[in-house]
Amino acid sequence: MNWYRQIDWITFLTWLFISALGLVAIYSATQGPLHQGTHIQGNFTKQLLYICIGIVVLIILHFTAPRTFQQISYLGYGFALLLSFATIFLGVEVSGERNWLPVFGFRLQTSEFLKVATILAVANYLTSRRENQAGTFRTAITATLMLFIPVILILIQSDTGTALVFMALIPIMLLWSGVPYGLCLLMVSPVIIGYLTVIDYVWGLLAAVLITATFFFLEKRPLLTFGTFLASIIIVIGVQVGLHDVLQPHQRSRIEAFANPALDPRGAGWNVMQAKTAIGSGGIYGKGFMQGTQTQLRFLPEQSTDFIFCVIGEEGGLISTSLVLILLALLLMRLLGQAAAHKHPFAQLFIVGACSIYLIHVVINLGSAMGLMPVIGLPLPFLSYGGSSFLANTIMLGICMNFYYHQRDFSIYS
Amino acid sequence: MRNKSSKIRSTISIRVLQVVVAITFIILLGRVIQLQLIEYDTYSPISQRNSIRQEFISPARGLVYDRHGQLIVDNQPTFTITITPINFNREIIPLLSDITGDTPEEIEERLLTARRYSWHRSSRLFTEVTFEVFSKIQENLWRMPGIGHQIEGIRNYPATVNGSHIFGYLREVNLNEIERNPAYRLGDKAGRSGIEQTYEDFLRGELGTQYVTVNAFGQEINQFDAGRHNEPPLKGSDIHTALDIELQSLAENLMKGKVGGLVAMDPNTGGILAMVSSPDFDINMLAGRIDAEYWRQVNSDSLTPLFNRAITSIQPPGSTFKPMMGLIGMEMNIITPQTTVFCSGGYYRGRLYRCTAEHGNQNLEQSIKNSCNTYYFWMMNHIAQRGGINVWKDMVDDFGLGDRTGIDIPNETRGIIPDSSYFNRAFGVNRWGIGDLINLGVGQGAMGASPLQMAVATSVIANGGYRVQPHIVSSISHADGSSEFHGTTKERIEWIKPGPLSLVQRGMRAAVTDGSGRFYANLRDVEVAGKTGTAQNPHGENHGWFIAYAPYDDPKIAIAVLIEQGGYGSTSAAPIAGLLMEQFFYGEIRRPWIIDQVIRKPPAPSAAPATTTPTIQATTD
Repeated sequence: MNWYRQIDWITFLTWLFISALGLVAIYSATQGPLHQGTHIQGNFTKQLLYICIGIVVLIILHFTAPRTFQQISYLGYGFALLLSFATIFLGVEVSGERNWLPVFGFRLQTSEFLKVATILAVANYLTSRRENQAGTFRTAITATLMLFIPVILILIQSDTGTALVFMALIPIMLLWSGVPYGLCLLMVSPVIIGYLTVIDYVWGLLAAVLITATFFFLEKRPLLTFGTFLASIIIVIGVQVGLHDVLQPHQRSRIEAFANPALDPRGAGWNVMQAKTAIGSGGIYGKGFMQGTQTQLRFLPEQSTDFIFCVIGEEGGLISTSLVLILLALLLMRLLGQAAAHKHPFAQLFIVGACSIYLIHVVINLGSAMGLMPVIGLPLPFLSYGGSSFLANTIMLGICMNFYYHQRDFSIYS
Repeated sequence: MRNKSSKIRSTISIRVLQVVVAITFIILLGRVIQLQLIEYDTYSPISQRNSIRQEFISPARGLVYDRHGQLIVDNQPTFTITITPINFNREIIPLLSDITGDTPEEIEERLLTARRYSWHRSSRLFTEVTFEVFSKIQENLWRMPGIGHQIEGIRNYPATVNGSHIFGYLREVNLNEIERNPAYRLGDKAGRSGIEQTYEDFLRGELGTQYVTVNAFGQEINQFDAGRHNEPPLKGSDIHTALDIELQSLAENLMKGKVGGLVAMDPNTGGILAMVSSPDFDINMLAGRIDAEYWRQVNSDSLTPLFNRAITSIQPPGSTFKPMMGLIGMEMNIITPQTTVFCSGGYYRGRLYRCTAEHGNQNLEQSIKNSCNTYYFWMMNHIAQRGGINVWKDMVDDFGLGDRTGIDIPNETRGIIPDSSYFNRAFGVNRWGIGDLINLGVGQGAMGASPLQMAVATSVIANGGYRVQPHIVSSISHADGSSEFHGTTKERIEWIKPGPLSLVQRGMRAAVTDGSGRFYANLRDVEVAGKTGTAQNPHGENHGWFIAYAPYDDPKIAIAVLIEQGGYGSTSAAPIAGLLMEQFFYGEIRRPWIIDQVIRKPPAPSAAPATTTPTIQATTD
């Protein structure tokens, strides 16, 4: 078979298409007359450069032997942790988050590369512990720790969004380490219950009951089920008390504004309101390229990064937003399909990890932009402006494509 | 090597993950459809409101000109800070307070007022800020959503006249007025006195609107839709007055330090040439943001400077009433040109009514020239005996006394000319008699007139028996170029016959050439006719009156001057009228020593009450 036939062209073209859509949106968000002379004006050319670098990265990654990733995984993990640690002391603060490390005139967001290194390392670790059934619990603890160290480092840099990504990775990765399903559910349940309690404690209680029931169905252990239920109720009460008594007023207002943005449209709910307005006012066909008032008149905050989807929604309408969603879904489904077909567990685990990261980013980014959850600043993979995030995501995709390209010779050994 | 269950487990896990991905994207797609398809109608208007701001442009208020086309009232640009409460964030109050120098509490209070007016419309927060504050606001506009700025006009008086009582001042409209009249916005000013009030609807103009695109910081970007929806403001109509600015200026100077009123008018048209009420207030002080201290001072002054004495003062006209009495006596057939009355220094009817001298035999012309009281006591006695008081009143009213003249500035008074029902009301039915009426013959007793009314009456005598409509404004020119003319109605008073009139006119001419007016009012080149009067004032010094018109055969000007507590009319009021005549006819003052005399004359010692009770006792010169 010809070498180029083994390349996953569909994934590549999807990636290129999504990146190009993002580039168009970034152009619109940065080249309007109101953005003349602002620092974000250069974002378009920079992003164009990143996409070119991304293509080169993808090509280079295809020439790498799959085993190399396994071999360098721990080294890379250690190096990425070191960089992240250095960022705490040498980092530059940008809008309240101290997660930028200046390297050769560039500012590197080390946490983005830490994601790649971490899933490589965890995938490698879990693969190597696979046959060792006895040590399941120990394996789980170690894997959890490997994910938890980055969480602490990133929380110190006060980048809550990225920390959340690592936390969400824990239950997903643990599924593969032989931990019972029930335990995984137990680990995600606080997030779900907490989220629903913020909206209304009735929803929180409802979720607590449902999760307890599912847990009983999966594990059939009455005592543990009762404990689960008790813990869920404590979470509901805890969140409720925390919301009203522990949090500072400005923090509470930010959370409450998410539940009801119209309450104070100029204050805490401003971003959400403007983002929803941008998307909603786009309608089916959109207002036209460079014609969105929310975008061009800068009502929309962070429009080339966190709220890039709103730019697409306002100027491109439902046609463009659904296209973006379909392309992203296509990419994820295809990668997961490849993972299922892949014979090597390391590749499987890595692809699942990468897809999980993409998915969490998509959920948090779009959820914030469309008012489904509190605003948490995370980039939309391949669409948002940002060199570190774009390149880190592209590297992950490149590794996935590498596994596909080399799947025959890779799968022989284990 | 790898065990089977682990293989199955990972496949299941991936399938679960795929399901999660699918569900997630279906939810997201559903949300997008909800926002963009179903709720489009909700968000589209929000986005439009966001970026398009409706702004109002205040029209330039109409200008005021004098009869020669000289500009006397115009507008001066001032800087205004506006606020739109819906966009305003309380947190910037300290910053705003820093810039403007007002206390946060004051800003808070103004914010509340603006909110009561409207949350969505912009209203004035501070008017007439200095240029420094204005430019600082401009610099910091991006930090202060909801704050705006605009340039507006306040009244400016470029001419050398004050004219406070003619022009009137403007004050901010209150919330009730805004509710009643949609033409007003919060902070708009409306005329509160003078012609500014009467012609408010003409002077105001029409508010313009413009729609501008703004960014998230509230800064204007450009005109929305290239300005197609804008409506430019319509400039207020310009007003042309009958005033003669030189005459007005001189009259104001002459009246300084005195208490009283003065009206000079064109006896043929009724156009007011000059009108002064003294003391007056500095109209420039009330043009802009009103200085509270000055406002309190003006309001609490015992000499009531806000009160326009020229049209509201009610004083017995004294001997200046005698020419009118002469015409009435002739018409009522009480006297003829040949009638003479012997004056022995007074007239006895129940008691002695004093005259100023023993004039001997007096006919009508002589009685006016010498201001003989006896002649008029005698005449009034006959009117009273005939039960002619009501006929007399009707005739007096025809001269413009006893009722509002209808001049185009507000708050005019009716004056008092009594009839039988008046006396019945005042004293009780059958509790008054001839004794109460005789004084009326010499312009004393229960009667009172304003300088304006006396000027109208003088005009009637001067112009041959025509009632003219006194007016300040002669025409209005609208912004579209059209004009409308005002107030030149002229009505012949039928009962005034040329014969008797010329007798009275001759008497008034003689009063100036040989009588009490000869010292100050007798001009060398212009034939002036006039009559002095001294109204008895039980509360202090007598009030001085002088009425005059000139030239005698072709009158161009009629003047009435009242100096409260000024003493004799011949020495207090007549010099002022004389000087005004000089200014009017020569364009210069030829007897400057009279100016010195007039201005040096000490002002009235004590506060004069606005109206004095009509007195029964008579003292006339």
